[in-house]
Amino acid sequence: MQTKDINENIAWAKINEDVLRSMENPRMGYWVAVVCCVAMVMCAVAAEIYQYQVGMGPANLNWPHMWDLYIATFVFWIGMSHSGTLLSAILHIIQADWRKPIYRFAEAMTTFSLMTAGLFPIIHLGRVWNMYWVLPYVSDRGIWPNFRSPLVWDAFAITTYLTSSALFLFIGMIPDLAICRDSARGWRQKLYTVLSLGWQGDDRQWRNFRKIYLLMACFLIPLAVSVHSIVSADFAMSIMPGWHITTFPPYFVAGALYSGCAAIITLFILLRYFFRFDEYMTIPILEKTCKLTFAIAMVWSYLNIIEFAATWYGHDMVAKELLIAKFVGPHAPYFWMMLFCGSVLPFTLAFEKLRRHLPTMFVVSLFLNLGMWLERWMIVTPTLSFSYMPFAWDVMWPSMVQWAIVFGSFGWFGLLFLVFVKVFPSVSMYEVKEMVFHRRHYHSSALANQFHRRASDPKPGDEPSKEGA
Amino acid sequence: MSLKNILENWSDYRRTAEDGGHHDYEHMWAMAIDLNKCTGCNACSVACYAENNLPTVGKKRMMKGQGMHWLRVERYWDEPDMGGDEKEYQERGGSFLPMMCQQCNAAPCEPVCPVAATYHTPDGLNAQVYNRCIGSRYCSNNCPYRLRYFNFYSYYEESWPEPLNMQLNPDLSVRDKGVMEKCTFCVQRIRVGKDAARREGREVHDGDVITACAQTCPTEAIVFGDMMDKSSKVSKIWAAHEVELGKHEQHKSDPDLRGYRVLEGLNTDPCVTYLERVREA
Amino acid sequence: MKRYYVMGMFSNFEEAFATVSDIRSHVIPGVSVDDVTLKSPIEHPEIEEVLGDRGSPVPKFTLFGAIFGICFGFLFLASAQATFLVQPQGGKAVVPLPSNIVLTYEMLILFGVIATVIGFLINARLMTRRHPLYSEKVSLDQIGVMLELDEKNVDPIKELFKKHKVLEIREEVSQ
Repeated sequence: MQTKDINENIAWAKINEDVLRSMENPRMGYWVAVVCCVAMVMCAVAAEIYQYQVGMGPANLNWPHMWDLYIATFVFWIGMSHSGTLLSAILHIIQADWRKPIYRFAEAMTTFSLMTAGLFPIIHLGRVWNMYWVLPYVSDRGIWPNFRSPLVWDAFAITTYLTSSALFLFIGMIPDLAICRDSARGWRQKLYTVLSLGWQGDDRQWRNFRKIYLLMACFLIPLAVSVHSIVSADFAMSIMPGWHITTFPPYFVAGALYSGCAAIITLFILLRYFFRFDEYMTIPILEKTCKLTFAIAMVWSYLNIIEFAATWYGHDMVAKELLIAKFVGPHAPYFWMMLFCGSVLPFTLAFEKLRRHLPTMFVVSLFLNLGMWLERWMIVTPTLSFSYMPFAWDVMWPSMVQWAIVFGSFGWFGLLFLVFVKVFPSVSMYEVKEMVFHRRHYHSSALANQFHRRASDPKPGDEPSKEGA
Repeated sequence: MSLKNILENWSDYRRTAEDGGHHDYEHMWAMAIDLNKCTGCNACSVACYAENNLPTVGKKRMMKGQGMHWLRVERYWDEPDMGGDEKEYQERGGSFLPMMCQQCNAAPCEPVCPVAATYHTPDGLNAQVYNRCIGSRYCSNNCPYRLRYFNFYSYYEESWPEPLNMQLNPDLSVRDKGVMEKCTFCVQRIRVGKDAARREGREVHDGDVITACAQTCPTEAIVFGDMMDKSSKVSKIWAAHEVELGKHEQHKSDPDLRGYRVLEGLNTDPCVTYLERVREA
Repeated sequence: MKRYYVMGMFSNFEEAFATVSDIRSHVIPGVSVDDVTLKSPIEHPEIEEVLGDRGSPVPKFTLFGAIFGICFGFLFLASAQATFLVQPQGGKAVVPLPSNIVLTYEMLILFGVIATVIGFLINARLMTRRHPLYSEKVSLDQIGVMLELDEKNVDPIKELFKKHKVLEIREEVSQ
């Protein structure tokens, strides 16, 4: 049974070779996946053209369902983007080095799911062609966006998050791009020469690199929390029952980390299987991710219970009516499914046997994400169906136009990801080397002793100092 | 110019801070609707369609909830445990509640619009700028009354086939797809009334401006007027029923007074007062 | 004056560090540890023990960017709000602090991140030509110790490298 996060004696040349190999010679299956994704995107494009031409009517949106799947899926994708931040920033700061082989694709996921999420507020606009009006540009008419609106906060937050996470992804990749540059030929060499920005592994470069990585991690953590809090403000700042809930910001952040972790498990297993990354994406690392997911799932479940209990105890008639409608009303099957996928299914992650079984984990992670998508739908739609005015109570099911665009967004994300894994290294080579290096030398006091200039410093391997304890 | 704006805005702001109830309103258009008088005939709704160029969307789209009725007459039937009977059409009939935009003074729709397409005018109206609207539909989601309607299609293409387009009201625009719209208290009529008054060099009198629904109502259930004018009919009704603006809970001296505002507890401060229907127990 | 660049490639990192350590302890007179540039495939926080703390001004850029973001963000928003006649109606605050705090916070992070990246690009001497002595093996698994020397020190350094089992020595003379 594999117990080590990574084999410490793995040759560095092999690391380079394995990762660079994954970027070359796409096999048949890759092209099939690309074609599938393009077809999915085309579905969405066709639906969007139709919707653009005719109006929002064909999406089956109606009064009072002004928002539906578009906004729910927007929240879903924003949520998924929190995975990369969790792995690369939070785990970097707490120095959990097992993140190193898997954070790169998680960060790519962050950027790409933001690029997907950013499309939805645009798609859902009634007049798409005027979308730039939410940006604070200097207009000759002296008109500004309404800075009080959470939608404008969204625009600010998503712009900041997309910029920062794309830069973070890129900066973290520079040493790897230099590796690619040194071994690539042809157009790839030209591309990597430009992208690696002349990286040559100087101590000066590494020193500044360490600083910027830490600083950006420090920025990204509060940024990720604020972004999803702001997205939750779209709902929490309104006065609608089921939306106007104090626990929404932490609830959304927990949900975001949850779906992000589930997506990491999915992609982990796919990459491990297709690129034969068995030596880097090891079972113990998957196990750690699963444990993390389980913990976050429990936080999410707890916040759910808090929400139900607070609504019930608060005894606001309308909010209570809505809560009952969620449990027994027309949306009940989806609501129960969400609770099952989100709160019951993660208990599979608590068993070591199941955690170590890849097919099970793959299916479970897909269902966890289904649950999280349903969660967002169950946040957006029931409130619109059952709000204050009983006359405006209505149940609406989304039409094919909406489904096509939601479906296509997965194709768009998949397409971006497929391009990424063939153009950029999806495992961080230099950090795997670091991980191997540090683990190999962790107990070798010879090296450490050699460079310790102060005799009083505790040596690695020594008992920790009792002084001042 | 901008420095002047800044100073003006800040002095406004300071005055607001010093005097909590301070508003720079020129008018405060308001309504009072007596539900005792309402027969549920829907004439107000029809008048609104005619006045405001509202498109008729057809039965299918209406059933799908894509209608454009700025003024809708809501029908409620008594629950059996509240004295109603089980029949579909109860013998005592339904209760009617004509709902148009309540022109809230603390409107939930205003702060959420990302492009400030909906804002408050100095007339106390909650205005919607169609040209500025980008159709994010947040305002409608945040309206507890669900009184905002969205152009899901380019309705105008089918609603007024030749020569019906000749019936369109030239005083206001025909809206295209992707724009939110709602009752404006017939702002075009208010405009005309104010212009006429200014030409004659006088204040706007009560009765100068009347909305299409109020004009049409056969039982005169709907009364429209200016709350700033203490002698107007609507102010008198509000005062008689002890309903005041700027409160989220009305304390009445006599429990028999019928005036109430819909969902007042949300502190939206609406400008429409309803006088409760009195029925035999 | 001619400058000599000598780079020794090591596959054993401990030997490379020992070399730097020797240079630090002035085994060769006239060569100081400040002349050493280490080219490494990975990041070594422990290298500062031997190279000395050379510091990084990137956090200063970050601080500047963040403070600029706060000031610019808030002033930009406040001036936009104060000149936007339509918005502050009905006795509401002209410059609403709660929403501005949210937006200023985002601007803080945006400008902080951008300034950090700019600081990194400048301080890490990125977007410049690679040094002619750069070896592709550095991106694989070897560590290079490069020194900028006077002519008289070239041979002793080579000796030192050889003592520490160097794999390959590269040289470059610049005018």
